[in-house]
Amino acid sequence: MFKKYILLALVTLAFSCKNDKKAEDQTEATDTKEQVVNLYTHRHYDTDKTIFANFEKETGIKVNVVKANADELIQKMESEGDQSPADVLITVDAGRLVRAKAKGLLQGVTSETLNTTIPEHLRDADGHWFGLTKRARVIVYDNQKVKPEDLSTYEALTDEKWHKKVLIRSSGNIYNQSLMASIIANNGKENAKAWAAGMVNNFARTPKGNDRDQVKGILAGEGEVAVINTYYLGKLLNSKDSTEINAGKAVKVFFPNQEDRGTHINISGIGVAKHAPNKDNAVKFIEYLVSKEVQEVFAKANYEYPVNRDAEVSDLLKSWGDFKEDSLPLSKLGELNKDAVILFDEVKWQ
Amino acid sequence: MLKHFKRDINQWSLYTVTISLFITIPLLAIIIYLFDGTGEMWEHISNHFLWDYISNSLLLLVGTGIISTLFGVSSAWIVSNYEFRFRKWIQWLLFLPLAIPSYIVAYAYVGLLGNGGTFIRLLNSLGISIQKIEMMNHFGLIWILSCSLFPYVYASTRAVFLSFPKSIKESTQLLGASNRRYFFSVALPLASPAIIGGLFLVFMEVLNDYGAAKYYGINTFTTGIFRTWTALEDLQSAIYLSALLVIMVFAINAFVAWRRRKKSYVLKIDTSQQQSATRKTLQGKKGLLYGMILSIPILFGFVLPVIQLIYWAILTFSEMFNADLFWIAMQSIGVALSGAFFIIITSIALIYFSKWNPIKSFQILKKVATIGYVLPGAIIGIGIIRSSQSFIDFFSNTFGLKIGFLFYGSSIILIYAYVFRFLAVAFNPMEANALKIGKNLGEASQLLGISRLKTLFKVELPLVRNVIISAFVLVFIDILKELPLTLILKPYNLNTLAVTAYAYADDERVAEAALPALVLIVIIAILMSLLNYAEKTFLKATPNSK
Repeated sequence: MFKKYILLALVTLAFSCKNDKKAEDQTEATDTKEQVVNLYTHRHYDTDKTIFANFEKETGIKVNVVKANADELIQKMESEGDQSPADVLITVDAGRLVRAKAKGLLQGVTSETLNTTIPEHLRDADGHWFGLTKRARVIVYDNQKVKPEDLSTYEALTDEKWHKKVLIRSSGNIYNQSLMASIIANNGKENAKAWAAGMVNNFARTPKGNDRDQVKGILAGEGEVAVINTYYLGKLLNSKDSTEINAGKAVKVFFPNQEDRGTHINISGIGVAKHAPNKDNAVKFIEYLVSKEVQEVFAKANYEYPVNRDAEVSDLLKSWGDFKEDSLPLSKLGELNKDAVILFDEVKWQ
Repeated sequence: MLKHFKRDINQWSLYTVTISLFITIPLLAIIIYLFDGTGEMWEHISNHFLWDYISNSLLLLVGTGIISTLFGVSSAWIVSNYEFRFRKWIQWLLFLPLAIPSYIVAYAYVGLLGNGGTFIRLLNSLGISIQKIEMMNHFGLIWILSCSLFPYVYASTRAVFLSFPKSIKESTQLLGASNRRYFFSVALPLASPAIIGGLFLVFMEVLNDYGAAKYYGINTFTTGIFRTWTALEDLQSAIYLSALLVIMVFAINAFVAWRRRKKSYVLKIDTSQQQSATRKTLQGKKGLLYGMILSIPILFGFVLPVIQLIYWAILTFSEMFNADLFWIAMQSIGVALSGAFFIIITSIALIYFSKWNPIKSFQILKKVATIGYVLPGAIIGIGIIRSSQSFIDFFSNTFGLKIGFLFYGSSIILIYAYVFRFLAVAFNPMEANALKIGKNLGEASQLLGISRLKTLFKVELPLVRNVIISAFVLVFIDILKELPLTLILKPYNLNTLAVTAYAYADDERVAEAALPALVLIVIIAILMSLLNYAEKTFLKATPNSK
């Protein structure tokens, strides 16, 4: 009997050690100066993997990846403190990078390449974080019922004519929080609150589902306009599910606020960790990610706009045309995030 | 008093205390947080949300409680009292909804019944003009949670129904009671502790649900804890919300204990005569009706969501099916095996050490050690990170040793977290069984001069072998499905099926999430059928003792 238990114990231990051993190998590897860069990332696209593999091939620096939600990664880095193995943090919005900076989790980096490649409003003034790709939060409209002339700004969505016709997801979502933050920054708190209340008044239904579901709602006739991120439309149109393609085809993109401040944009971005054990590799890695060739692949994977102006956008994005973007420094989005959430709650935006 | 204490204390008391303390470290870390007071956003939360959180959570509990009891009890009753074709298969199919994480069911339902959903298109092609069936509301969420969680009630109730000796039914029949009367006046009251036990598990899962409620836009305690922590950046208030949640759980727990005491019927089973009542053959109209009752939970809890997942998986098969998927599946199994192994070891140690320890007041310690099951995963994660951080700091400050990599580079804290989170799942049934066996055998063996540990391995554990194996499988399944802790605590390059599926779904790539989810479901289904098979064959032949 005893033997059986011992056997069972050994087998399971062998299993658990497999994971542990790999980790040991990694740390040993660091000791013997095998080059690595440790990523904490919220992005998870299959093309990212190919890019990392190519980076490894070109530089000999191995890319280790921890994928999780940005909030969890930040919490993790905060708790790990000066023994955190993270070299870089990648998030899918600027607000989280600002928060990471505020918590002292990132460090400033000076790189000529980065400063010349990335437009100023898309990076932190102290070099704590840099944008990698851009996404615009746009209005999409039912191409049967709505004419583009009917649309103008985010603010105009609160007009009487859109009563019960506006589709947008819940306020728990970071993209809505960032949009709200940009409105607070541009119009002031009072106006922002009035805007949010007007939006709630015009909701076609209680906010639920994700951005894709809002577009499907237009196809189903539940509403006529929706506020979504550009790349979700790209994903719908390139989906393998016929309903999604139909939903994507039922709408057209409108870039709001072209006459004034420009359309609200956000970034997926990266910052070097405060206690990065491999800082040099981290900088090399970021520089690699913003190079023209990589930017094209990196941005295309998710139907995003590259931050490197030399890089070409995908054909789909070209077909939507150029647009004027809000040049509000993105750090504002992070600074005003909490205010945005509080305002949402006050006007009962679900 | 203290003298007694000193006299009675033995090595087992020390072990009990040590193990319990070691396990409860994250809880202590969280309690320490509570002393810092509520955070700055507390007023905002209590003004705008607290009532929402409480009322929604209560509504979900009541709704899910009612529907899953209806599903669970009716199906358990039919499969254990009637004979019909495919009975054995159906008996097993009724467990399967547990194999699908509920947030996946939530997405699948929208894929089926939402705008342009698969089922809607089918109806449209049949000439039925319908836009969608709205699931993204309170009732939809209750329905989904009930369909995927009722097997907890089914499992515990069925076990009791099956253990009814023939004599009970015979005597009610002799007394002229109808079948209906037998069910309502005899069987149901006798089974009620088991039903409530199953319901308790359902309640815990409902309170812990995050993915489904978030997608459907319903504010619950758990979504609120995340919102407060991340969007409002107020960890302190998030921990207070968790404390409220824990109070709610204790209230439920007290209610369960009270009901159990009130209705503590004792089934005295004479094993020499134990013989289950023979099953009646089902036929005719009644057969049809009962067949429908059985098919509803199977259809809605398993078949429909799986059909939708298969449809999505076919759409994305070429991009999702690769060596990575296989590797991820192997990692999932590896982590779950190690986690389950340590949970079983810890349960055995706690159960027997505290049994051998003469100080009664230490009994409470093992209850405290199993508290992780009722805490929200995210909060456990915070507690664990904070406490391991103090440990690392301690080493670094006193010995100058950098041991951070041991924690963050390996699965050690993840597995520790699983032990904290799921100990109750294995501990409770194992303890119940171990206590049933009593002390006589162990004492007899010791009188023969065999050491306690040897007795444990040679006599006592073999007697509870069945329950150890089934506890192992249950814990294994729970770990495979586990999401928040794995997300927060997993080391580099470790990916599990649940995490992969969630990452895709969260990124609005639900179709891509389907294949990893299906692999997860298949692994769990295989395990369940193995357990089912094992229970029928070799596990049956264990000696029954008193």
